[in-house]
Amino acid sequence: MRVLIVGGGNVGYYLTKTLKERKNHIMIIEQDRVRCEQIEQDLGDSSIAVTNGDGTDTECLKEAGINDADVLIAVTGHDQNNLVACQIAKDFFGVKRTVARVKNPKNIVAFRKMGVDSVISSTEEIANTIDEQLDWSEMKRLVETHSADLRLNRIVIGRESKFAGHTLQEISFKSGIIIVALLRDGSVIVPDGKTVLNENDEVILWGKKDDLKEIQSDHPER
Amino acid sequence: MYLIIAGCNKIGISLANLLSSDGHDIAIIDRDESKFANLGNGSNYLTVAGMPIDEDVLKQAGIEKADGIYSVTDDDNTNIMIADIASKLYQVKHTVVRIDDPSKQSVMRSLCLQVICPVTLCVDQLYQAVNWRNL
Repeated sequence: MRVLIVGGGNVGYYLTKTLKERKNHIMIIEQDRVRCEQIEQDLGDSSIAVTNGDGTDTECLKEAGINDADVLIAVTGHDQNNLVACQIAKDFFGVKRTVARVKNPKNIVAFRKMGVDSVISSTEEIANTIDEQLDWSEMKRLVETHSADLRLNRIVIGRESKFAGHTLQEISFKSGIIIVALLRDGSVIVPDGKTVLNENDEVILWGKKDDLKEIQSDHPER
Repeated sequence: MYLIIAGCNKIGISLANLLSSDGHDIAIIDRDESKFANLGNGSNYLTVAGMPIDEDVLKQAGIEKADGIYSVTDDDNTNIMIADIASKLYQVKHTVVRIDDPSKQSVMRSLCLQVICPVTLCVDQLYQAVNWRNL
Protein backbone atom coordinates (compact mmCIF):
# COMPACT_ATOMS: atom_id res chain seq x y z
CA MET A 1 0.00 0.00 0.00
CA ARG A 2 1.02 3.56 -0.57
CA VAL A 3 0.52 5.50 2.63
CA LEU A 4 0.77 9.26 3.07
CA ILE A 5 1.41 10.30 6.66
CA VAL A 6 0.88 13.91 7.73
CA GLY A 7 2.89 14.79 10.83
CA GLY A 8 6.36 13.51 11.70
CA GLY A 9 6.22 13.82 15.47
CA ASN A 10 6.63 10.78 17.69
CA VAL A 11 3.42 9.16 16.50
CA GLY A 12 4.24 9.78 12.84
CA TYR A 13 7.77 8.51 13.32
CA TYR A 14 6.84 5.19 14.89
CA LEU A 15 3.96 4.75 12.49
CA THR A 16 6.35 5.19 9.59
CA LYS A 17 8.73 2.70 11.12
CA THR A 18 6.02 0.12 11.75
CA LEU A 19 4.33 0.45 8.37
CA LYS A 20 7.67 0.30 6.60
CA GLU A 21 8.46 -3.00 8.27
CA ARG A 22 5.19 -4.29 6.85
CA LYS A 23 6.36 -3.48 3.34
CA ASN A 24 4.34 -0.36 2.63
CA HIS A 25 5.55 2.61 0.65
CA ILE A 26 5.52 5.63 2.95
CA MET A 27 5.28 9.30 2.08
CA ILE A 28 5.53 11.59 5.07
CA ILE A 29 4.99 15.35 5.42
CA GLU A 30 6.46 17.23 8.35
CA GLN A 31 6.55 20.96 8.97
CA ASP A 32 9.83 21.11 10.85
CA ARG A 33 12.90 20.87 8.62
CA VAL A 34 15.21 19.54 11.33
CA ARG A 35 12.72 16.82 12.19
CA CYS A 36 12.52 15.88 8.50
CA GLU A 37 16.27 15.40 8.39
CA GLN A 38 16.11 13.26 11.52
CA ILE A 39 13.47 11.01 10.00
CA GLU A 40 15.42 10.72 6.78
CA GLN A 41 18.59 9.85 8.66
CA ASP A 42 16.96 7.26 10.91
CA LEU A 43 14.52 5.59 8.55
CA GLY A 44 15.36 6.85 5.08
CA ASP A 45 15.60 4.44 2.18
CA SER A 46 13.90 3.98 -1.18
CA SER A 47 10.56 3.04 0.43
CA ILE A 48 10.24 6.36 2.29
CA ALA A 49 9.81 9.87 0.88
CA VAL A 50 10.02 12.77 3.31
CA THR A 51 8.56 16.16 2.35
CA ASN A 52 9.08 19.32 4.37
CA GLY A 53 5.94 21.45 4.45
CA ASP A 54 2.34 21.97 5.52
CA GLY A 55 0.16 18.87 5.15
CA THR A 56 -2.97 20.97 4.75
CA ASP A 57 -1.54 22.79 1.74
CA THR A 58 -2.58 21.35 -1.64
CA GLU A 59 0.74 22.13 -3.32
CA CYS A 60 2.67 20.41 -0.57
CA LEU A 61 0.35 17.39 -0.67
CA LYS A 62 0.89 17.13 -4.43
CA GLU A 63 4.64 17.37 -4.04
CA ALA A 64 4.56 14.61 -1.44
CA GLY A 65 2.68 12.38 -3.90
CA ILE A 66 -0.91 12.41 -2.71
CA ASN A 67 -2.13 11.46 -6.17
CA ASP A 68 -0.54 8.02 -5.72
CA ALA A 69 -1.67 7.50 -2.14
CA ASP A 70 -4.13 4.74 -1.21
CA VAL A 71 -4.60 6.10 2.27
CA LEU A 72 -3.84 9.32 4.16
CA ILE A 73 -3.12 9.18 7.88
CA ALA A 74 -3.07 12.53 9.71
CA VAL A 75 -1.25 12.39 13.05
CA THR A 76 -0.16 15.94 13.83
CA GLY A 77 -0.68 17.17 17.38
CA HIS A 78 -3.51 19.47 16.34
CA ASP A 79 -6.98 18.06 15.73
CA GLN A 80 -7.93 20.87 13.36
CA ASN A 81 -4.94 20.20 11.11
CA ASN A 82 -5.70 16.49 11.02
CA LEU A 83 -9.31 17.14 10.04
CA VAL A 84 -8.43 19.58 7.26
CA ALA A 85 -5.73 17.26 5.87
CA CYS A 86 -8.27 14.40 5.69
CA GLN A 87 -10.94 16.59 4.09
CA ILE A 88 -8.63 17.91 1.39
CA ALA A 89 -7.36 14.38 0.74
CA LYS A 90 -10.83 12.94 0.33
CA ASP A 91 -12.83 15.76 -1.26
CA PHE A 92 -10.15 17.42 -3.36
CA PHE A 93 -7.78 14.60 -4.30
CA GLY A 94 -10.15 11.63 -4.05
CA VAL A 95 -7.99 9.57 -1.68
CA LYS A 96 -10.00 6.43 -0.87
CA ARG A 97 -9.34 6.13 2.82
CA THR A 98 -8.53 8.69 5.50
CA VAL A 99 -7.43 8.12 9.07
CA ALA A 100 -7.07 10.82 11.72
CA ARG A 101 -5.64 10.93 15.18
CA VAL A 102 -7.51 13.13 17.65
CA LYS A 103 -6.26 14.55 20.92
CA ASN A 104 -9.70 15.47 22.22
CA PRO A 105 -11.74 12.25 22.53
CA LYS A 106 -14.92 14.25 21.97
CA ASN A 107 -13.78 14.75 18.40
CA ILE A 108 -14.02 11.03 17.60
CA VAL A 109 -17.72 11.20 16.77
CA ALA A 110 -17.48 14.66 15.18
CA PHE A 111 -14.67 13.59 12.83
CA ARG A 112 -16.62 10.53 11.69
CA LYS A 113 -19.64 12.67 10.94
CA MET A 114 -17.45 15.04 8.99
CA GLY A 115 -16.32 12.26 6.68
CA VAL A 116 -13.09 10.88 8.16
CA ASP A 117 -13.13 7.08 7.71
CA SER A 118 -11.25 6.07 10.85
CA VAL A 119 -10.63 8.12 13.95
CA ILE A 120 -8.14 7.11 16.60
CA SER A 121 -7.62 8.56 20.05
CA SER A 122 -4.85 7.07 22.12
CA THR A 123 -5.92 9.28 24.99
CA GLU A 124 -9.40 7.84 24.96
CA GLU A 125 -8.13 4.29 24.86
CA ILE A 126 -5.76 4.82 27.74
CA ALA A 127 -8.28 6.82 29.75
CA ASN A 128 -10.78 3.99 29.27
CA THR A 129 -8.23 1.47 30.42
CA ILE A 130 -7.56 3.48 33.55
CA ASP A 131 -11.26 3.97 34.16
CA GLU A 132 -11.81 0.26 33.91
CA GLN A 133 -9.13 -0.07 36.57
CA LEU A 134 -7.21 -2.58 34.60
CA ASP A 135 -4.23 -3.72 36.55
CA TRP A 136 -1.35 -1.39 35.72
CA SER A 137 1.18 -4.19 35.36
CA GLU A 138 -1.13 -5.96 32.96
CA MET A 139 -1.41 -2.83 30.84
CA LYS A 140 2.35 -2.47 30.72
CA ARG A 141 2.77 -6.09 29.77
CA LEU A 142 0.24 -5.67 26.97
CA VAL A 143 2.26 -2.87 25.44
CA GLU A 144 5.57 -4.61 25.94
CA THR A 145 4.54 -7.83 24.26
CA HIS A 146 3.45 -5.91 21.16
CA SER A 147 6.40 -3.57 20.74
CA ALA A 148 9.99 -4.55 21.33
CA ASP A 149 11.70 -1.32 22.36
CA LEU A 150 8.68 0.74 23.39
CA ARG A 151 7.42 1.04 26.92
CA LEU A 152 4.58 2.57 28.84
CA ASN A 153 5.57 4.05 32.15
CA ARG A 154 4.23 6.11 34.98
CA ILE A 155 5.98 8.87 36.91
CA VAL A 156 4.94 11.40 39.51
CA ILE A 157 6.12 14.96 39.02
CA GLY A 158 8.11 16.05 42.06
CA ARG A 159 8.98 19.56 43.12
CA GLU A 160 12.50 19.15 41.71
CA SER A 161 11.34 17.64 38.39
CA LYS A 162 12.71 19.34 35.31
CA PHE A 163 9.27 18.86 33.76
CA ALA A 164 7.38 20.89 36.36
CA GLY A 165 6.12 24.15 34.92
CA HIS A 166 6.75 23.11 31.32
CA THR A 167 4.32 22.41 28.50
CA LEU A 168 4.07 18.96 26.95
CA GLN A 169 5.26 20.44 23.69
CA GLU A 170 8.56 21.49 25.24
CA ILE A 171 8.96 18.19 27.03
CA SER A 172 8.25 15.76 24.22
CA PHE A 173 10.43 17.65 21.79
CA LYS A 174 13.43 17.49 24.07
CA SER A 175 13.06 13.99 25.40
CA GLY A 176 11.51 12.08 22.50
CA ILE A 177 8.64 10.72 24.56
CA ILE A 178 4.87 11.07 24.36
CA ILE A 179 2.76 11.98 27.36
CA VAL A 180 -0.45 10.08 26.84
CA ALA A 181 -2.45 10.88 29.94
CA LEU A 182 -2.34 12.92 33.07
CA LEU A 183 -3.88 12.15 36.43
CA ARG A 184 -4.50 15.29 38.42
CA ASP A 185 -6.61 15.54 41.58
CA GLY A 186 -8.11 12.13 40.96
CA SER A 187 -9.30 12.69 37.40
CA VAL A 188 -7.82 11.81 34.03
CA ILE A 189 -6.89 14.83 31.95
CA VAL A 190 -6.56 14.79 28.20
CA PRO A 191 -3.44 16.87 27.66
CA ASP A 192 -2.48 18.82 24.58
CA GLY A 193 0.78 20.48 23.64
CA LYS A 194 -0.01 23.54 25.71
CA THR A 195 -0.83 21.65 28.92
CA VAL A 196 1.58 22.57 31.71
CA LEU A 197 2.74 19.87 34.13
CA ASN A 198 2.37 20.63 37.83
CA GLU A 199 3.88 19.16 40.95
CA ASN A 200 2.09 15.96 42.04
CA ASP A 201 0.73 15.24 38.58
CA GLU A 202 0.81 11.56 37.76
CA VAL A 203 1.96 11.20 34.18
CA ILE A 204 1.75 8.25 31.82
CA LEU A 205 4.57 8.18 29.31
CA TRP A 206 5.12 6.28 26.12
CA GLY A 207 8.46 6.01 24.40
CA LYS A 208 11.69 4.17 23.87
CA LYS A 209 12.94 2.02 26.73
CA ASP A 210 16.23 3.89 27.09
CA ASP A 211 14.65 7.36 27.00
CA LEU A 212 12.16 6.33 29.67
CA LYS A 213 14.85 4.85 31.90
CA GLU A 214 16.61 8.18 32.05
CA ILE A 215 13.41 10.01 32.92
CA GLN A 216 12.46 7.44 35.52
CA SER A 217 15.77 7.86 37.33
CA ASP A 218 15.01 11.59 37.62
CA HIS A 219 11.59 10.79 39.11
CA PRO A 220 11.97 8.32 41.98
CA GLU A 221 8.85 6.48 43.13
CA ARG A 222 7.13 8.05 46.11
CA MET B 1 -30.48 37.03 14.63
CA TYR B 2 -28.20 35.10 17.00
CA LEU B 3 -24.63 35.17 15.71
CA ILE B 4 -21.38 33.66 17.01
CA ILE B 5 -17.94 35.08 16.36
CA ALA B 6 -14.91 32.86 17.03
CA GLY B 7 -11.78 34.95 17.60
CA CYS B 8 -11.74 38.05 19.78
CA ASN B 9 -9.10 39.83 17.72
CA LYS B 10 -9.29 43.11 15.79
CA ILE B 11 -11.38 41.56 13.03
CA GLY B 12 -13.69 39.78 15.46
CA ILE B 13 -14.26 42.84 17.63
CA SER B 14 -14.93 45.24 14.73
CA LEU B 15 -17.29 42.71 13.18
CA ALA B 16 -19.11 42.22 16.48
CA ASN B 17 -19.60 45.96 16.85
CA LEU B 18 -20.98 46.29 13.31
CA LEU B 19 -23.36 43.35 13.63
CA SER B 20 -24.49 44.46 17.05
CA SER B 21 -25.31 47.95 15.79
CA ASP B 22 -27.59 46.22 13.25
CA GLY B 23 -29.45 44.78 16.23
CA HIS B 24 -28.12 41.21 16.29
CA ASP B 25 -27.29 39.23 19.44
CA ILE B 26 -23.62 38.34 19.57
CA ALA B 27 -21.63 35.64 21.32
CA ILE B 28 -17.85 35.83 21.06
CA ILE B 29 -15.39 33.01 21.73
CA ASP B 30 -11.66 33.17 22.35
CA ARG B 31 -9.13 30.77 23.75
CA ASP B 32 -7.53 33.61 25.71
CA GLU B 33 -9.85 35.14 28.29
CA SER B 34 -7.77 38.33 28.58
CA LYS B 35 -8.72 39.25 24.99
CA PHE B 36 -12.25 40.11 26.14
CA ALA B 37 -10.81 43.18 27.88
CA ASN B 38 -10.44 44.72 24.39
CA LEU B 39 -14.20 44.62 23.83
CA GLY B 40 -14.80 47.92 25.64
CA ASN B 41 -17.21 48.68 28.43
CA GLY B 42 -20.37 49.34 26.44
CA SER B 43 -20.60 45.91 24.82
CA ASN B 44 -23.06 43.33 26.14
CA TYR B 45 -21.89 40.29 24.20
CA LEU B 46 -21.89 36.80 25.64
CA THR B 47 -18.20 35.95 26.05
CA VAL B 48 -17.01 32.35 26.22
CA ALA B 49 -13.40 31.47 27.00
CA GLY B 50 -12.19 28.18 25.51
CA MET B 51 -10.97 26.34 22.43
CA PRO B 52 -13.50 27.20 19.75
CA ILE B 53 -13.12 23.75 18.12
CA ASP B 54 -14.37 22.12 21.31
CA GLU B 55 -18.05 21.28 20.96
CA ASP B 56 -18.67 22.00 24.65
CA VAL B 57 -17.33 25.52 24.16
CA LEU B 58 -19.45 26.04 21.05
CA LYS B 59 -22.53 24.82 22.91
CA GLN B 60 -21.82 27.27 25.71
CA ALA B 61 -21.74 30.00 23.08
CA GLY B 62 -25.18 28.85 21.91
CA ILE B 63 -24.37 27.04 18.67
CA GLU B 64 -27.59 25.04 18.91
CA LYS B 65 -29.67 28.15 18.36
CA ALA B 66 -27.23 30.17 16.22
CA ASP B 67 -28.32 31.56 12.86
CA GLY B 68 -24.78 32.21 11.75
CA ILE B 69 -21.14 31.82 12.75
CA TYR B 70 -18.05 33.75 11.70
CA SER B 71 -14.75 31.98 12.33
CA VAL B 72 -12.02 34.60 12.30
CA THR B 73 -9.27 33.25 14.59
CA ASP B 74 -5.64 33.57 13.50
CA ASP B 75 -5.44 29.89 12.56
CA ASP B 76 -6.83 28.85 9.16
CA ASN B 77 -7.42 25.21 10.00
CA THR B 78 -9.14 26.09 13.26
CA ASN B 79 -11.49 28.35 11.31
CA ILE B 80 -12.26 25.62 8.80
CA MET B 81 -12.98 23.11 11.54
CA ILE B 82 -15.31 25.52 13.35
CA ALA B 83 -17.31 26.06 10.16
CA ASP B 84 -17.46 22.31 9.54
CA ILE B 85 -18.72 21.55 13.02
CA ALA B 86 -21.28 24.37 12.77
CA SER B 87 -22.67 23.43 9.36
CA LYS B 88 -22.39 19.65 9.42
CA LEU B 89 -23.11 18.83 13.05
CA TYR B 90 -25.36 21.72 14.13
CA GLN B 91 -26.93 22.74 10.82
CA VAL B 92 -26.02 26.40 11.30
CA LYS B 93 -27.29 28.05 8.12
CA HIS B 94 -24.62 30.66 7.53
CA THR B 95 -20.94 30.03 8.13
CA VAL B 96 -18.25 32.46 7.03
CA VAL B 97 -14.58 31.51 7.30
CA ARG B 98 -11.50 33.70 7.44
CA ILE B 99 -8.57 32.09 5.66
CA ASP B 100 -5.29 33.99 5.51
CA ASP B 101 -3.43 31.67 3.17
CA PRO B 102 -4.45 32.67 -0.38
CA SER B 103 -3.53 29.25 -1.77
CA LYS B 104 -5.99 27.60 0.60
CA GLN B 105 -8.95 29.81 -0.23
CA SER B 106 -9.80 28.28 -3.60
CA VAL B 107 -9.61 24.74 -2.23
CA MET B 108 -11.93 25.65 0.59
CA ARG B 109 -14.35 27.38 -1.76
CA SER B 110 -14.47 24.19 -3.78
CA LEU B 111 -15.41 22.39 -0.56
CA CYS B 112 -18.44 24.67 -0.31
CA LEU B 113 -17.26 27.01 2.41
CA GLN B 114 -17.89 30.74 2.27
CA VAL B 115 -14.34 32.05 2.47
CA ILE B 116 -12.95 35.53 3.08
CA CYS B 117 -9.21 36.00 2.58
CA PRO B 118 -7.98 39.23 4.21
CA VAL B 119 -4.61 38.93 2.49
CA THR B 120 -6.12 38.80 -1.00
CA LEU B 121 -8.52 41.64 -0.22
CA CYS B 122 -5.72 43.78 1.16
CA VAL B 123 -3.39 43.10 -1.77
CA ASP B 124 -6.18 43.96 -4.23
CA GLN B 125 -6.74 47.28 -2.51
CA LEU B 126 -3.03 48.05 -2.33
CA TYR B 127 -2.66 47.21 -5.99
CA GLN B 128 -5.49 49.51 -6.96
CA ALA B 129 -4.48 52.33 -4.60
CA VAL B 130 -2.19 53.94 -7.13
CA ASN B 131 -2.69 53.71 -10.87
CA TRP B 132 0.91 53.78 -12.08
CA ARG B 133 0.03 53.45 -15.74
CA ASN B 134 -1.66 56.84 -15.86
CA LEU B 135 1.03 58.72 -13.96
